[in-house]
Amino acid sequence: MALLQVNNVTKRFGGLVANHEVSFQVDQDEVVGLIGPNGAGKTTLFNCIAGFYPLTSGNVVFDGENITGLSDFQVARLGLARTFQIFQASGDLKVVENVMVGSFMRTSSRGGAREVALEVMDFLGIVDTAGEMMTELPVAAQKRVALATALASDPKLLLLDEVGAGLNPSEIDGLIELLQRVHGERGVALLLTEHVLEMVMKLSHRVIVLESGRKIAEGEPATVVKDPEVVRAYLGDHYVKRQKENGDA
Amino acid sequence: MEAVKNAFDFGDMPRSELGLAAAALAFLLWFPAMPHSSFGMATMIQFLMFSLYGMGWNLIGGYGGQVDLGKAQYVGIGAYTTAVMMIRWDVPFWFSMPVGMALAVGWSFIIGYPLFRLKGHYFAIATIATSLVLKDLFEVWDFVGGARGLEIPMKGDMPNWLYLQFREDYYYYYILLGMFLIGLIYMNGFRHSRLGYQLRAIKDNEHVARSLGIDVHWSKIKAYAVATAYVAMVGSFHACYNFNIEPEDTMSLDLSVLIAMMAMLGGAGSMWGPIIGAAILVPMKNYLGSWLGGQAGFAGMDLAMYGLIIMVIAAAQPRGVYGIVEAVRARRR
Amino acid sequence: MEELGIQILKSAVSGLIMGLVFALVALGLTVIFGVMDIVNFAHGEFLMVGMYTTLLTSPLLGVDPVLTLPLAGLVGAVLGVMCYFGLIRFLLRGPMIAQLFGTFGLMIFLRNLALLFMGSEPRIVHEGWLVGKSILVGPGVVLESTKVAAAALSLISFAVVWWFINRTRVGKAITATSLDAEGARYMGISTEYMNALAWAVGGASVGVAGGLLVNFWPVEPGVGLLFTMIAFATVALGGFGSVRGALVAGILIGFIVNLPPVWDAILRSIDAAGLRGLEIHSFKYTMVYAVYFLIMVLRPQGLFGWKQ
Repeated sequence: MALLQVNNVTKRFGGLVANHEVSFQVDQDEVVGLIGPNGAGKTTLFNCIAGFYPLTSGNVVFDGENITGLSDFQVARLGLARTFQIFQASGDLKVVENVMVGSFMRTSSRGGAREVALEVMDFLGIVDTAGEMMTELPVAAQKRVALATALASDPKLLLLDEVGAGLNPSEIDGLIELLQRVHGERGVALLLTEHVLEMVMKLSHRVIVLESGRKIAEGEPATVVKDPEVVRAYLGDHYVKRQKENGDA
Repeated sequence: MEAVKNAFDFGDMPRSELGLAAAALAFLLWFPAMPHSSFGMATMIQFLMFSLYGMGWNLIGGYGGQVDLGKAQYVGIGAYTTAVMMIRWDVPFWFSMPVGMALAVGWSFIIGYPLFRLKGHYFAIATIATSLVLKDLFEVWDFVGGARGLEIPMKGDMPNWLYLQFREDYYYYYILLGMFLIGLIYMNGFRHSRLGYQLRAIKDNEHVARSLGIDVHWSKIKAYAVATAYVAMVGSFHACYNFNIEPEDTMSLDLSVLIAMMAMLGGAGSMWGPIIGAAILVPMKNYLGSWLGGQAGFAGMDLAMYGLIIMVIAAAQPRGVYGIVEAVRARRR
Repeated sequence: MEELGIQILKSAVSGLIMGLVFALVALGLTVIFGVMDIVNFAHGEFLMVGMYTTLLTSPLLGVDPVLTLPLAGLVGAVLGVMCYFGLIRFLLRGPMIAQLFGTFGLMIFLRNLALLFMGSEPRIVHEGWLVGKSILVGPGVVLESTKVAAAALSLISFAVVWWFINRTRVGKAITATSLDAEGARYMGISTEYMNALAWAVGGASVGVAGGLLVNFWPVEPGVGLLFTMIAFATVALGGFGSVRGALVAGILIGFIVNLPPVWDAILRSIDAAGLRGLEIHSFKYTMVYAVYFLIMVLRPQGLFGWKQ
């Protein structure tokens, strides 16, 4: 059975339809990419799945349970973790303390929480920064801390909202490798939205494409990228015609 | 038990701070033995009381990040419970104090549930509103003596440990000091606890906190309840120390503000902040008040100065005196 | 039965009058909040300053208190602008906690300055051509002329402010800044200037309100708190940022505050034994605080609010 099932999810903000009857699923052993031009409704969809926004219609089933209507913290406790696009560094806490907030979800013991936090940080290669203050870290490292925090809560599924944003090519490579290990070695299913297509191509087993709130394509990365609908969504009709003229298969 | 171990774990504080704290503690322990005036003793007792009030306030105002301007209502609940139980049913302090705390905490849950749907200014104003409503209630309720308040009669010879009635102030001082130490250690434990971490995460960014499984609303209510317990405990003590209580001195907005101000001045969100704030403001208020207030025409000058100090600090360094210390320390690195 | 009828009429009229004054007090608060997200805890103290201004200048200049209103308004405006440049401007940059404390410090400061210079005894205006005279409105309902005048002038002040905000260029600039400060800046509207102006207008309104109030309500250094709370309740009910809301909500709150005598009269007319204990004449202002609480929990945007 699928770990996550999104069934006909529609989200309206007043007159604006941000998501229109989007359906797909994610299995425990998958990495699924969610792409689409700006304004396609990707972050909104994330927020709906994670319980941040109430759905206008449709439902979401996670690990066999209907989580529609649950609040975000309840969803998180069931094992669905997420990262945020805008990451504000916490000025007050040390790095390890930050990560501990994640592991505290599973234990009430400070010692236990700290152990888990350090282990996760070690896994992600940032354990050296444990005692530093968050504000002293560069952006790339801060992102890893955010990732560590989410991982420390021992999730089954991790929603990654544009984690590749603002990184240079070598940082992106590092992140791709990291995420592959997170999925491969820790068995966490991943659902990621990205503009950095390289990440999506290299990580995903399957890709879903959104445009203007609707799902317009789904399939393996290589196939989806050549789908004329997808090309049209990103680049316009002009390029689709060109594609056909060049006999692109 | 890990919680107890946590409470005594001061390891994450800089050595210099711990050294100063130890020195201060030694001073506090020795104080009654040093030559002092009764005014000085009274000031010290007030300092300890306000430190405890401030520590409680700090839980929700500092760590929790929501400014509470209605703490005085719980002082009142604690004080009145003890007073009433003592007067009507001869209940000793050591029983009435926990009862007072329980009542206060109960009330805090009742109003906490709706209260914490609010944030920022709206929350602060609502806390003022609830506190004033309760005060109004007490002022017309005959059972607690109305606006005139209650007077606690002597229960036999002094020193009286059951009802906390002593002739010499140093008895009061040491009992309060004991409460102070317990309060301090508990705060330290709280800071290391799951709720403590969660509160700081909430203060930082509520959305992120929620995505980590934290029930923000409930966590705030819990912290508020603990803060209430602190304040009510001292309220009970206040009744025994003062022998006389009325709504105007136990439940006024001025008291709520004073509590918040001291904690903020010293540095809300740090463990020593409230104590520093009380250490500065209580003596200043007392000595300024006795020096100036005695001279007619100067009433209000001391508080006007506090207002000014608060404004300046709010504008320049919202993290209070302790914030200044931290900033200096950071620059030195 | 007749007593009840008279009481209802009395309360209704009294409520309307007081409500209009409350509305004017709240007007300043809502204007400031509309333009910048700051709530002024010292608002009641501004009122107090307006009250003292009229109280002192009327005999000093030998003129009727009504004529000192422009002066009270001016003092209020100046105080507002001074506070903006001296304090608020800095608070806006800081965290919200700092803003709360900053205006709180201002409240303590002003209140105790007044204590220092004015002493603590309550004082009220004693001389003026309206003072001491009353108007008969309906059977058995007598109103002090000062209150009636206050209500009328409050209404006029509302009209003036409304006209200013909606019909003048500067007023529209203020509205622009409240809706989108950055966008307004691109149009050449200086946010700093608009902020200061909002404080001037806000300060002036509440200063005038004070000048009106002191004719029938005694002033002492601590008078501010109650009116700050009333202003907050009014603005919350009317919707933060809405001028129209302040007017409607002020009147409603005026009625609410005058409800207890009606309630007591109802109890008396039913003449039910044992219900005497429920008379609530001493709870007038508790109701205001309770109203605030209920509104914030049930309908935070108030009646007309667009900002929250």
